[in-house]
Amino acid sequence: MHELLLFASVPAHQHHELLQQLAGLTAMQPRHRLERRLVFKAYRKPGLVTTRVGASQDVQGADLQRLNKMLNGGMYYTQVVGPVTKADFGATSLSAMSASHDADVSMSGTDQSSYCYENQPWKLEFRDIPEAGTRSAVTTRLMASASLPKGDIAVPMNAWGYSFVTEYMVEGDVFVQNDIVIFLHRVLLYPQAESQDLHGPRRQLPAYHELTPLERTGSYVLQAAITVQDGSNQEMMKTASQHLFGLREQLKSAVRLEQADRLSLDTRAK
Amino acid sequence: MSDSFTLPLRPLLEKRERPDTLPQEIAQINAQYGSFRDVTEESLRATIAEEKNKDPWAEEDEAEKPAAEVDTTERMDQLYKRRAEITQFAMQAHMEALFALDFVSLLLSKHTPRQAELSMSAYLKQVAPLGSLNAEIVNPPPKSEAALQDIKTVSRGWRIQNFNAAANKLLRSATRLETEVASETKYWDEVLAVKNKGWKVCRLPRDRQALGVQYGFLEATPIFRDRGLAALRRADDGSLLLDKGLIPQKIRTVRVRVKTQGQFTGCSKVSWSLTNADSIEGRILQARDTVYEEELFHEMVREARIMGSQGVTTRQNLVQVPVSEEQEVLLDLVDVDQGEPADTESLSNEHDTLADAVAHSIRILLAYAHRQNLRRRTQPPPPLTPKRRHVPEYQLLRPVMAYLQHTAHVRSLESFMGDIVGVLKAAGLRCGFTSAPFSSVRLPTVHASVPKVETLVKQFLMPFESTFTGNLLTPESSFCVKVRTNTVSPPSGTYFEITVNLPHHPEVKPPSRIGLPTEAAAALAHFMLLDIVTTIANKGVKSPEGTDAGKGVLSWEAAYAHHGELRALSGSGNNKKMKVSLSREELTVQTYPLRGVDVSGSAEKGKTANPRSQSWRADSSESRPSLMEFVEEVSQDRP
Amino acid sequence: MSSLTPDQIKTLEQSRQRLVQLTHSLASLITSLNQSDPLPSWTSLQSQATIISNNLLTISDHLSDNRDLLATLVAYPSPSYPSRNPANTVALEQLLRTKLDPRVEDWVARGRKAAGAAGNGNGLDDLGALAELWDWAPVEANQEARRRNWGGNFTLEEREQGVGNVVTGLRRVLEDDDDDSESEEGESGEEEGEGEPDEMEIVGVRRKSGVGQGLEFDIAPVSATAASGPGHAGQQKVVAPVVPLDEILRFMTVGIMPSQR
Repeated sequence: MHELLLFASVPAHQHHELLQQLAGLTAMQPRHRLERRLVFKAYRKPGLVTTRVGASQDVQGADLQRLNKMLNGGMYYTQVVGPVTKADFGATSLSAMSASHDADVSMSGTDQSSYCYENQPWKLEFRDIPEAGTRSAVTTRLMASASLPKGDIAVPMNAWGYSFVTEYMVEGDVFVQNDIVIFLHRVLLYPQAESQDLHGPRRQLPAYHELTPLERTGSYVLQAAITVQDGSNQEMMKTASQHLFGLREQLKSAVRLEQADRLSLDTRAK
Repeated sequence: MSDSFTLPLRPLLEKRERPDTLPQEIAQINAQYGSFRDVTEESLRATIAEEKNKDPWAEEDEAEKPAAEVDTTERMDQLYKRRAEITQFAMQAHMEALFALDFVSLLLSKHTPRQAELSMSAYLKQVAPLGSLNAEIVNPPPKSEAALQDIKTVSRGWRIQNFNAAANKLLRSATRLETEVASETKYWDEVLAVKNKGWKVCRLPRDRQALGVQYGFLEATPIFRDRGLAALRRADDGSLLLDKGLIPQKIRTVRVRVKTQGQFTGCSKVSWSLTNADSIEGRILQARDTVYEEELFHEMVREARIMGSQGVTTRQNLVQVPVSEEQEVLLDLVDVDQGEPADTESLSNEHDTLADAVAHSIRILLAYAHRQNLRRRTQPPPPLTPKRRHVPEYQLLRPVMAYLQHTAHVRSLESFMGDIVGVLKAAGLRCGFTSAPFSSVRLPTVHASVPKVETLVKQFLMPFESTFTGNLLTPESSFCVKVRTNTVSPPSGTYFEITVNLPHHPEVKPPSRIGLPTEAAAALAHFMLLDIVTTIANKGVKSPEGTDAGKGVLSWEAAYAHHGELRALSGSGNNKKMKVSLSREELTVQTYPLRGVDVSGSAEKGKTANPRSQSWRADSSESRPSLMEFVEEVSQDRP
Repeated sequence: MSSLTPDQIKTLEQSRQRLVQLTHSLASLITSLNQSDPLPSWTSLQSQATIISNNLLTISDHLSDNRDLLATLVAYPSPSYPSRNPANTVALEQLLRTKLDPRVEDWVARGRKAAGAAGNGNGLDDLGALAELWDWAPVEANQEARRRNWGGNFTLEEREQGVGNVVTGLRRVLEDDDDDSESEEGESGEEEGEGEPDEMEIVGVRRKSGVGQGLEFDIAPVSATAASGPGHAGQQKVVAPVVPLDEILRFMTVGIMPSQR
């Protein structure tokens, strides 16, 4: 599968207005989306892995095949994405935090969220580096995704030859216009992100309000994406980019959708 | 406008002194109106009124007044005439100005020849050499008082006229602006009223200057979705006009009629009176309803085309859906104001309610389809492939047809069962059944993610199932009939699934699927018959030892149970044969004497005894012995 | 009898120049009339008419300013004029004609008649009053105009009574929106609040200094919304993102913090 994309940066003050504009354009209510995103990095050469994943009972056979193909193809960064809801976040209030000096104790003490790491579903989202030198003004890249076992994903990922790099939260709203998925989102960081980075995915979620935007002015990223089943079908690829250009034109007065800097989406692990 | 004040924009005219003498006036009147005899007071008053409103410049403006009445070609003519006039004036003015220029240039050419020559016409240069005009300052005699006075008069006259003209123009503009403001205010008030009613008011995509109102359905097929927008135009007086463009203004609706045995027995309500249909709100509602109705019909025709195998036919503007053997539903798109069409000779209004129910159902189902479209549209789309996504036909007719067919089948089976039970009751047999029509339809349990109405409607899109259960005469015998109807996915149609529990006939297995109701009924009747035969046989088994009358009483055993035949063998040679037959009309039991076990030799000897027969009908009022009494009687060991 | 002084020649030269202008504008009007079918756009027609009218006014002013000179200046053919040729004579007569053109004559007569119809005598008092009225009117009209708010979405009266009370029906709020985004809109605002998203333009009008006629417009952004609760006014500030898009995407892809590069 191939993915064609356009991006735009949306200043915080424009966010609300743009939400309304998108709702009007797509004639739908925004769908709020919260995702845990884990970044993994391949640490050994491909072709060495034949490990079977332990808890793979909820992974379909076809998915498993695809997984093996994806993960053994080369040295890449890859993302593991898990949907969460606001209810999954801890109930820790700021006052509770300040009352106790030991943040961890207070968090585990008052955490009444229903979040269960063992039941967290995951999806592997593989993205290649965008194609170089394409004449059309869209970002085009090879993509694939597959379901992963639920729960602790670091172990099977390690078995596949991937080590945990970091994780963050993505918050935003999804709109659909015909074939295009429009995702107006931003990156939220966990508190004390650094100390967690080395170990692995967190098993608990902090209170939602403790997350801080990566872009501290609170700006959003607008991403318009369209997927094409067969990337070698030039006709389809052309149609897809034309659809994106159509959207770019419609949103022209609000935002400037552009191709992304290719190297900023470089997933190769060197 | 509130603190109005008046300004005397026009010059105050003094009462005219009468410089004209009478003879002159008479001459004038004669010239203007002809003979005095034709002059009436009325005509004079009219003339005066006319004159009053007249502008001093009227000579020029007059031609414009009837402009509204003349048609476009005349207007073009007029336009070109005016254009020629303008051009002529301009050329004249140009010539005069050139004369003046030539004159001054020639005069100057004596002093500044080089400059002056530049502005001299070619012709002048030809006829007058440079510097051929002299000029001197002289002292002319002063102008006469009369001449000065005349100049003043002329100047005053023109100034008055010009003031007047300017005043008129201002006042006219003010009036025009005032009416314009009034009609703009009216227009916007009405737009606001529309908006306040909850309609979506927006700019038109193709005509950015105009406002439009969105009344259509976003989830409809594109051709109908795009028709759901009409311009809100302003009439001259400011009232709101709903401009649907090229789409005809007709109000149309889907009509449902029921035909029973070839004659119309029901029709849905076609026109419903809208409260103040002439208001803008009313017109928007009508437009909305019409676009919905037309989409409904369009989608029904689309669906009907894939239902050909189920007997649905489409004609140009008619869809016919068979419901049962004798009933069909007809759907067409009609004009609302057309009134009762002549082609519907209605036999009765017996099925009006049914027609209305169908009419409501298909509309609800279209609304449901719209919701499904929204759901589908807002899900992340599948990857782009060269294959175009097929838009599945909506389920409009199929659920209705399924429901009606199912009802018909269930009713017919129910009445069959009722008849049988009635017959058996008349024969003194206790037997009952319970029916659970539409047992598959369950009220929705609440799901937060899906609105209640949707779960409710969804129930009617699934296969329908009804069940009949009952106990038979022999203990522990029972039957169960499941009636399923499915028109959405193959296999379509209704089928019956019968299970029976006959401990005495464990070998009996009903066919797993019965397609025809008559076959299902026949199968059921057959099981009943088997059961009756078993009951009679059982009775025989019990009596010999259990009763005093054991002696001399024959006991029956089933010979050919599937044909309802029993046999009783007697030690005294009074062998007998019994034949039981069961239909929904009656139960009949016949006995024949049967001499000897050897059937071959029994025929001629059997004639000596009388065959006996008894039948029971549900409706017969005369009292008869019950089946068991009859059996007991014929069980006596005598001929 | 005296010959012309340089000053007088200069006056005549000015007349010549003004006539040149007039003939030019008339010629261009004729050209544009001829070149368009049926008529030039009314705006261009009107502007040409204005130019011609101004030309005429200039000439008229010039003529009356130099009335003394021009009334006593007499032109006559010099001996060098080749008057033997009859054609030349006709041309000369045309140039030197003093009698009014019949149509001008007619125009004068209409003026005379109009004055007669309005009543004779009685001097120019009524005209004086009218002239006064017409001098007063444009000034007054401008003053009235200045009190009005042209181009804004609200009238001055509406603003004085508080624009919050005005029913515009134009509020665009997302349906079913949750409270978060609702409050984000958090309208707070005082008059002349700077650059808030919901601002609108209100145009002030004032008389240009010096010249009696003509208005000047100035556009001042004024918050359209009346003051309401404190809300999240801070979020409304226009702040450009500090992290460039590609840095965000890089973080999302490989987890490198923007500041680490």
